[in-house]
Amino acid sequence: MYSSLVRIQNTFGFFTTVAFVIAALIAASDFITPRAPSVGMLKTTNLQVVRGRPHYYSSKKEEYAIIKFSLDADLSSLFTWNTKQVFVYVTAEWPSTSTTGVTIASNATANQAVIWDAIITSPSADHLSNLGPAALKKLRKSAAGKAIDPSRGKLSLKNQRPKYQITHPSGKIAEMADVTLRLHYNVQPWVGVLTWNQGVDYGLWKQLSGGLSRKFTLPGLKKKEEAKKTS
Amino acid sequence: MAEQILDQVRDVVEGQIDFEGQKLAELIANVALSVVGAIAFLVGYLLQDIKLAVWIALGGTALTFVAVVPPWPFYNNNPVAWLQVGGRSQHTTASLVVDEKAVR
Repeated sequence: MYSSLVRIQNTFGFFTTVAFVIAALIAASDFITPRAPSVGMLKTTNLQVVRGRPHYYSSKKEEYAIIKFSLDADLSSLFTWNTKQVFVYVTAEWPSTSTTGVTIASNATANQAVIWDAIITSPSADHLSNLGPAALKKLRKSAAGKAIDPSRGKLSLKNQRPKYQITHPSGKIAEMADVTLRLHYNVQPWVGVLTWNQGVDYGLWKQLSGGLSRKFTLPGLKKKEEAKKTS
Repeated sequence: MAEQILDQVRDVVEGQIDFEGQKLAELIANVALSVVGAIAFLVGYLLQDIKLAVWIALGGTALTFVAVVPPWPFYNNNPVAWLQVGGRSQHTTASLVVDEKAVR
């Protein structure tokens, strides 16, 4: 501490220590914050299988499932001061079938494909969201003066079109049986570890209640005339 | 004249303080940073506002730098009383002593 330079170095050195300790405390504060996410309703509203090409010049034609769904979920308890954003996604899952059509029991969820996703930012991370200026202004206004906004975790989707039409490496997905939809979330904190929806309770973090739709069977291929009419 | 100004500039930039001042500066830096960190965490947690916590921590750290880095006068309240150059009081005649006899 003899000269100014030494005082700068010592003060900055201790500052980094303090910053690290605070970051560790913030990360640890997640574990004393209860989480109880729940899904009120997750169901399909419209099922469709069409033939299409993976890309414009492809000579291969594949079957694509278009699964519309409705969702009511309350993920508001995931939004704490340390939450940067929550990634929410819905997958369709179905068991693997052998060539004879017999379900292989050990792989109950051998196939899993994302049909819809969304990023829900915390007000502290609105500047990171991938939105246009008008939508960003609206988002900021919705949480004006609030440091956290758990109401953003309340999802209500009615007859939502899927973002992604799904297929299978074999190119066949029509009349697939025992398909379920599942809601997943991924909490991305400012400091700390990423956490996904878990199958068991960890302390104050309860597992996602609900989040699984009833089993359904995909319909057969749409007739050509019908497919043309809808598109 | 230019040398004098350069010496003054060097003194200000170096910012030397006395031993008691160094002890005090270290104490102030450690205590202030710890307190600022604790306040930042508690305020952030209670108000659930992580941006506020970051700004409190950064602001407090900046204040600590202002308090500690410049050679404020209160860090130089106990200057060391060095012996005078040449030690006029003790050795007026003999400058070198060998075998307890003065060598002239």
